Amino acid sequence: MRAGKTVSVEATSPKKKKNNNNDKKKKKQNQTEKKDNQNLSKKTTKSANNVQTENDASLKIQDLERQQNTKQELSATASDSDFDYQVFSEDEVSEYYEQSEDEESESSGDEVHGSYDDLNNDNDDGHEDQSDGSESLQGVEESDSSEDEVAPRNTIGDVPLEWYKDEKHIGYDISGKKITKKERQDKLASFLASVDDSKNWRKIYDEYNDEEVELTKEETKIIRRLLKGKAPHTDFDPYADYIDWFKYEDSLHPLSNAPEPKRRFVPSKWESKKVLRYVRAIRKGLIKFDEPKEEEPRFYLMWGDDSSTAEKANRLSYIPAPKSKLPGHEESYNPSLEYIPTQEELNSYQLMYDEDRPKFIPKRFTSFRSIPSYENAVKESFERCMDLYLCPRVRKKRINIDPETLKPKLPSRKDLKPYPATCYLEYKGHKGAVMSISTEGSGQWIASGSTDGTVRIWEVESGRCLRVWEIGEPVHCVAWNPSPELPVLAASAGQDVVLLNTGFGNEEEQKRVGELLQVETPTASNDSDNMASIVSWLQDDKLGGIRLRHFKTVTSVDWHRRGDYFSTVMPAGESRAIVMHQLSKKLSHRIPFKLHGLPVSSVFHPTRSIFFVSTKKTIRVYDLLKQKLIKKLETGLREVSSIAIHPAGDNVIVGSREGKLCWFDMDLSSKPYRILKCHPKDITNVAFHRSYPLFASCSDDGTAYVFHGMVYSDLNQNPLIVPLEILHGHISSNGRGVMDCKFHPRQPWLFTAGADSTIKLFCH
Amino acid sequence: MEFNIETPEQDEKTLRRVQVRFVTKLKAPLKVPNTSIAIPSNLTRFGLSSVVNNLLQSVNPEWKSEPFDFLINGELVRMSLEQFLLVKGISAEKVLEIEYIKAVVPQKEEEPCLHDDWVSAVDGSHRGFILTGSYDSLGRVWKAAGSCTHILEGHSGAVSSIRFLKSDGMKNVTVATASKDQTLKLWKFDVEDLINHPKKINAFKILRGHKASVQSIAAHTSGDMICSGSWDCTINLWQTNESDAEGDQVSTKKRKVNNQVDESQFEGEAVSTLVGHTQCVSSVVWPQHETIYSASWDHSVRRWDVETGKDVSDIFCGKVLNCIDVGGEGSALITAGGSDPILRIWDPRKPGTSAPVFQFSSHNSWISACKWHDNSWFHLISASYDGKVMLWDLRTAWPLAVIDSHKDKVLCADWWRSNSVISGGVDSKLCISSGMSIQ
Repeated sequence: MRAGKTVSVEATSPKKKKNNNNDKKKKKQNQTEKKDNQNLSKKTTKSANNVQTENDASLKIQDLERQQNTKQELSATASDSDFDYQVFSEDEVSEYYEQSEDEESESSGDEVHGSYDDLNNDNDDGHEDQSDGSESLQGVEESDSSEDEVAPRNTIGDVPLEWYKDEKHIGYDISGKKITKKERQDKLASFLASVDDSKNWRKIYDEYNDEEVELTKEETKIIRRLLKGKAPHTDFDPYADYIDWFKYEDSLHPLSNAPEPKRRFVPSKWESKKVLRYVRAIRKGLIKFDEPKEEEPRFYLMWGDDSSTAEKANRLSYIPAPKSKLPGHEESYNPSLEYIPTQEELNSYQLMYDEDRPKFIPKRFTSFRSIPSYENAVKESFERCMDLYLCPRVRKKRINIDPETLKPKLPSRKDLKPYPATCYLEYKGHKGAVMSISTEGSGQWIASGSTDGTVRIWEVESGRCLRVWEIGEPVHCVAWNPSPELPVLAASAGQDVVLLNTGFGNEEEQKRVGELLQVETPTASNDSDNMASIVSWLQDDKLGGIRLRHFKTVTSVDWHRRGDYFSTVMPAGESRAIVMHQLSKKLSHRIPFKLHGLPVSSVFHPTRSIFFVSTKKTIRVYDLLKQKLIKKLETGLREVSSIAIHPAGDNVIVGSREGKLCWFDMDLSSKPYRILKCHPKDITNVAFHRSYPLFASCSDDGTAYVFHGMVYSDLNQNPLIVPLEILHGHISSNGRGVMDCKFHPRQPWLFTAGADSTIKLFCH
Repeated sequence: MEFNIETPEQDEKTLRRVQVRFVTKLKAPLKVPNTSIAIPSNLTRFGLSSVVNNLLQSVNPEWKSEPFDFLINGELVRMSLEQFLLVKGISAEKVLEIEYIKAVVPQKEEEPCLHDDWVSAVDGSHRGFILTGSYDSLGRVWKAAGSCTHILEGHSGAVSSIRFLKSDGMKNVTVATASKDQTLKLWKFDVEDLINHPKKINAFKILRGHKASVQSIAAHTSGDMICSGSWDCTINLWQTNESDAEGDQVSTKKRKVNNQVDESQFEGEAVSTLVGHTQCVSSVVWPQHETIYSASWDHSVRRWDVETGKDVSDIFCGKVLNCIDVGGEGSALITAGGSDPILRIWDPRKPGTSAPVFQFSSHNSWISACKWHDNSWFHLISASYDGKVMLWDLRTAWPLAVIDSHKDKVLCADWWRSNSVISGGVDSKLCISSGMSIQ
């Protein structure tokens, strides 16, 4: 009975507190003026608890004290008279106390309260009771320090007492002996005893030590004081007089009579330094005043596109982490059987590639306990760290453009037929790299010059080598005279340019050519002053032609369209690098133009008397009649290697050593109209077709590219350039690939001369 | 009729069988009984041939087996019978009528006639001899494989074309040659000359007038006129009579003084010139009295009316043409080959003839020569730079035979004696494949 009561008291203590609060509220309503006082008393209660060192009551007792305090307080508020338990009981709270004491099952309307009641009634069901009680005990213990209290009899420590519920003892004393439980009185007896005992209201049961404690008079007094909200000790005066230690009026004499130090009157050195620094900063403009703040526009375009504002925010923007998939049924620790893969399925997973294999294979565990630790924990955390480490710090703006739309609209290759595509014929016979080829005007023959020192003439249709001339030196360049009446071939080898009689044509033509290729020795010496030192015309009987001995190595020969004049280029010749020769008069002239840079080649205009000189960087266009510079074409290339003129004469293509091909429209500008970067290696030569809209470039990478290059007669329309075909077939040797390419004059065929000593004919 | 065909597939019950009847236009010993028999449907040409041979053997025990070719609905069988029926959509339910003809295969490879240089031209239009022209500027007359009887000497450039013109009686033969030295020459020699070593012959007439290499000549059926195509884009017509005007004789005499020519030569000039081509006229044929066909590098085939000297019609093919021939059905089909591996055949009788009716594309390189068989409507040969001579039948898209005897480019090819194919090439050989039976 006794135990039950105490338990109930303790168990309901939180409830009581609540009630207490309620009471406080009531009190507020009733006696608002008491509020301050009450707060104070609460404080003092707490402090008293701390101060109360002499009190040897246990924590529970303290708790009880507090309850008692509350009771007393309540009684005090209610009656404001002497402490009387009976009066107290009239109150709502006291009613509740009565309930617990008297074991009367009066319903208080509070459900929780009722349940507590029930629990109290049921003595057997002590488990929950006690656990509640222990909870409340703990709650109290947490708030109070108990270091200065007397060690309890029981030494089991702060363990739930329910552990000893079924034992005979309640714990162990300090010497390790069991403390046996006291015999319990039945409730009726204890009630009767409590009724008889006048001091019963002072007794409380210490469950922990299993003993009844009787509070002394002093202790009750303290409790009563606490309940009243007063300091627990009578000798403590909460309203002591305030002593103001500070004096407000100045004292007549200062504390120190020392004179004022000098530094108080001297301007501060450090301050002046600081000021100076500011001044300098202002002068330098580091600090600015009167700078109008950039005002936020008052009105903004609410529905405008926010792309510009996004650009303005130059800082790192928040990149939300991708959301992971929510777990499904199969990820349960105990999924239903249909999620569990069968053995065959597991075997089939083994056969799959790693990336196709399912990441998660459902497994069943009978209980939560049997789930093993996650095997990938370390790996995944590592990967997560790597992800964070390698996460791009800049958000890339992806442009969502279909790459197909960026391509220029070009006509299809099929519509641009015919163009050379397939190699059907090869011209074999040279023993060294074929350096240069030239086609005869009708397209029946081609001539080729090679590093093996021979010049050959081939029949185009059959691949037959018709004639061979042994020049003796590697042949750099061959050029067929464009005039059909003069079947003469010019070949440059070393310092010589040889004019060869090809032997074609009928007898009259042969006769004329034979006469033309006769040099009387005086003509060379007859020449004007220094020209003899540059070029001398010599008869070469062995080859049956004329040998023009230059003073430097000749790399390029080009005929004028009439077939009487031809120009030769000696890159090492400096100011006399380009020489113009006249076949009919056996005369040579220096060109009357100043050369800028190393000349590469010189070409005659196909229709007009215009002369193109290409140096390594620029192309200069001269008018031969007026003898002046017409145009200068800036290639922007590192080193020009070759040049070709469109048969209409207004467009020029230039190949460079860096693999770039420039198309100049001379009417348009002096800058390239189009730059085609196609070859990975040097472009060795470029060529235009005479009648078809085709041009080609050949390179040391062993390929030749064929382009469609349509020039419109309408000046408003830009030339149309379409890449058509890459012609493979030549084998690179010694790093050289295709050395020369020439179009057939009448067919859409391309001849390519390779360093592999063959000439190939690509047909449409 | 019960008949046992000894084919390995015979015992297989699952095979489908086709009811066939073999018919032929061949003469009596080659005829099989006109009854229908069931044969396995997976037989190929070889299987069918053995069936026919067995049938023939059953009639005539001394029969030696011979290859046959088979036609179903006018098309040669070139796969298994089953496939063929499937592809052509012919019902296998009815009795299938299969016509058999003698297979056209070269039986024998004669010994090649060796030349000193590339063989650029052949002509086999006379049954008695073969004419060849070579890059060593000589023409040669071959009696048979390996026996050269005459050498035609006098050109200063490669002989690009050689053509038999006519023979008076059996002995005297007139031959024309075209050369890259821009001239044509006419030669006369006696076929019956039996000499051990080849006899050298000089031309009796020289025809000047072209301004560039002459590529091709063709003779009028009578042999009195020839035409020639040249790199100067023209076709010239020439008289071949030796008794020309006196003035020519004089001029040659004058030349004789200048050039120290040993023998007297007539000099001829072009009767007329057909102008129209824009590029080299690579090949000419003169199949009928009135018409000349020419192929040119300007991608066109033109038909010329000899009387008016105008071109009547032209076909554009898009490729450079190297050779042309007219023949086939009614001697009307035009075949031409050129700078691509496709042999094209046009039928000018069809309205809108720009598209070829047949295209044969088994070659790998330029086609250098093509020639119809004289008598057959279906057979033609083509020579290509890939070193092959192919025998074609219009009734199938595959070549009947591929003659692979040349090592390098084949430059010229012709029929000889209706059963042989002669071809010359860069390997300086004249190859003769004989033994073809074309009826």
